[in-house]
Amino acid sequence: MNRTAQKRALITCFALAGCFTVFSFRLVQLQVSEHGEYAARAAQSHVIRQTIVSRRGAILDIHGEPLAQNEPMRTVVADATLISDRAELAEILSPSLGIPHPQLMEKLGREVYSQALKKNMPAPYIVLKKQMPENEAADLEAALAQHKLRGIFFEPDTKRIYPNDKMLCHVVGFVNGADVGKEGVEERMEQYLAGQDGFRYIEHDRTGKEIVPYRGVEKAARNGSTVRLTIDMGLQDIVETELDTAIKQFHPVSATIILMQPKTGEILALANRPNYDPNEQDGVPPDHRRNRAITDMVEPGSTFKIVTTAAALSEKIVNPHTMINCENGYFAAVKLHDHHPYPDLTVHDILVKSSNIGVAKLAIQLGDQKFYEYVRRFGFGERTGVEMPGEFRGSVQPPHLWSRISITRMPMGQEVGATPLQVVTAMCAIANGGHLMMPQIIHDIVDDQGNKIAQYPPQEVRSVATRQATDAVRDALIEVVSPRGTAALAHVAGFKVAGKTGTAQKLDPDGHYSHSRYIVSFVGFMPADDPAFVGLVLIDEAQVEHTKNYGGLVAAPVFSRIGEKAARYLGLKPAPEDPLGSVVAGQNFRDYRDQ
Amino acid sequence: MSTNRYRHANVIPIASFATWAMVGIFVCAGGLGWVWCKNQLYTTGTEIKTLERELADLKDRNEAALTKIAQLSSTAKLRERYEHDGLIKLVPITNDHIVVLSNTDAPPRAGELRPASNERTHE
Repeated sequence: MNRTAQKRALITCFALAGCFTVFSFRLVQLQVSEHGEYAARAAQSHVIRQTIVSRRGAILDIHGEPLAQNEPMRTVVADATLISDRAELAEILSPSLGIPHPQLMEKLGREVYSQALKKNMPAPYIVLKKQMPENEAADLEAALAQHKLRGIFFEPDTKRIYPNDKMLCHVVGFVNGADVGKEGVEERMEQYLAGQDGFRYIEHDRTGKEIVPYRGVEKAARNGSTVRLTIDMGLQDIVETELDTAIKQFHPVSATIILMQPKTGEILALANRPNYDPNEQDGVPPDHRRNRAITDMVEPGSTFKIVTTAAALSEKIVNPHTMINCENGYFAAVKLHDHHPYPDLTVHDILVKSSNIGVAKLAIQLGDQKFYEYVRRFGFGERTGVEMPGEFRGSVQPPHLWSRISITRMPMGQEVGATPLQVVTAMCAIANGGHLMMPQIIHDIVDDQGNKIAQYPPQEVRSVATRQATDAVRDALIEVVSPRGTAALAHVAGFKVAGKTGTAQKLDPDGHYSHSRYIVSFVGFMPADDPAFVGLVLIDEAQVEHTKNYGGLVAAPVFSRIGEKAARYLGLKPAPEDPLGSVVAGQNFRDYRDQ
Repeated sequence: MSTNRYRHANVIPIASFATWAMVGIFVCAGGLGWVWCKNQLYTTGTEIKTLERELADLKDRNEAALTKIAQLSSTAKLRERYEHDGLIKLVPITNDHIVVLSNTDAPPRAGELRPASNERTHE
């Protein structure tokens, strides 16, 4: 090889070596020093974090009837980076999505600023429509496939469904657009009902299809737990039907009915009016959403006399046969009236006749502090602890804030603010022998795998009165539901019913008691000897004649109808009838008056 | 040139060829195997994806059906159908069709004969 040839070969070698050195340098630069940036760019365009949507837990009644569950839906999402023909796509999507064509074009043309590329890019994630029914989504998917259009995805979604519509709405509650519980059990049990979304890192090809072998880290979704309530839909149906009948008959401002199991404190049925449909809660006035059973504070009226009497009997200050002077209907010292003049009444008859003066004298004998103690023991002035949000504690003033006549007004249910649930709970204590039970609405919680993760056993808050005292009060309450008492119309044929009426005057804006606006109620239990349920019927401002607006005339018949149907539903065995138990037709309305 | 040298000069190195051929075959087989495995991986992945989608669809359809059943058989809907649509052929039990049985008589004294129920009915 001559020198020229050698020189050429050398130059060529150097040139090639130089080229390879440059390539190698660039390779090292790309793979080592700029690796992070390019890896991020690649990940941004090909790797996505796919959410595995969890399902919200269901809510069931005690027998497993669904009260809230999920309907599978689809969310229609567009990836504008994959759209080739925006106009054609919009034309197909517009009728299915119900979005006008120009608006859809604007949506599909949305851009986002890419930090990596330092420029505006077509948006990779545009939500076009939420909660599209499965079948409609399938039709749309087929239409897109037929036209070979890419860039539209159907993500799994759910819609919360309440199969019973308005029934039990205040207990169940509803969820907002983000699937978060907003009222009732949905809100209170959010931590159990809400699932936990999982995720999966996936790579997709340029057509958007997942490359399954390149799946990255994956975490499975955890579905929400199922919450079973103590509510019995059979009883709830009875209550709702009778409440509707009462609403049609009396056109009140509001009404509440509660049925509770006295031995366990389980709430069997609860209904309020006005109500709403949780499936369509948009535009519902807040007033309709209120669970009045726990948020409304009312003066309980004469139903409160059970507390005073039980307290006096428990303290053994009196016995059921002790005679009390009822001042012939007017207690001048404290300006207190009875509806009928009674010279002397036994403690038993004070309840039967609902004498204001009689219970006032019992409370005076108890003394301020002792009486206050019993009121608090019966659960007034504190939250019951029921698993529903927004419960009021009620209002009971301590003795040092009382006026001179408070000790005579509170025993008959004035100057006391109580929620309907507190009144039922107090009556449960009378029905079960003196045990104040915490009201229960949740029976148990079962996770996605079928494991019971929480059980809500009956919980006794405290003992509030002696067995002898509650038995004596019960005996008097049985007679209240007789022609001698104020609630003869609460009688249920074949069963011994015990109960107490209440007629509370509402306060006028000027702070005085109204003579035209009343809250009438009846709270009772049956069968009286072994109660299967305690029921409260509370009707606010029934539109009836002034002379007929009494608990014994308005609320007691509603209880009677509920009691009869509930006894049939629960299979209660009729007991021998007490001759006192029969209702005499055509009784003078005045006989059922109380205060 | 010796006889030995002539013999060795034209000999075919079969062992060497065989070795290289084997190496070649193994490399090719390895390459093809790798491609086949990769292809299988993609095919299986696609199958997995299809099955996953089918399973999800089935779950969704099942849940949709359960929701529909719950809606149709809910207490409120049954009452509505019974009251308005008349689809459920049930006759409401009215109070005049209900007989409440209760033993109102005092227990018989020893040796006392009580009238049979049918006799009493015809009284």
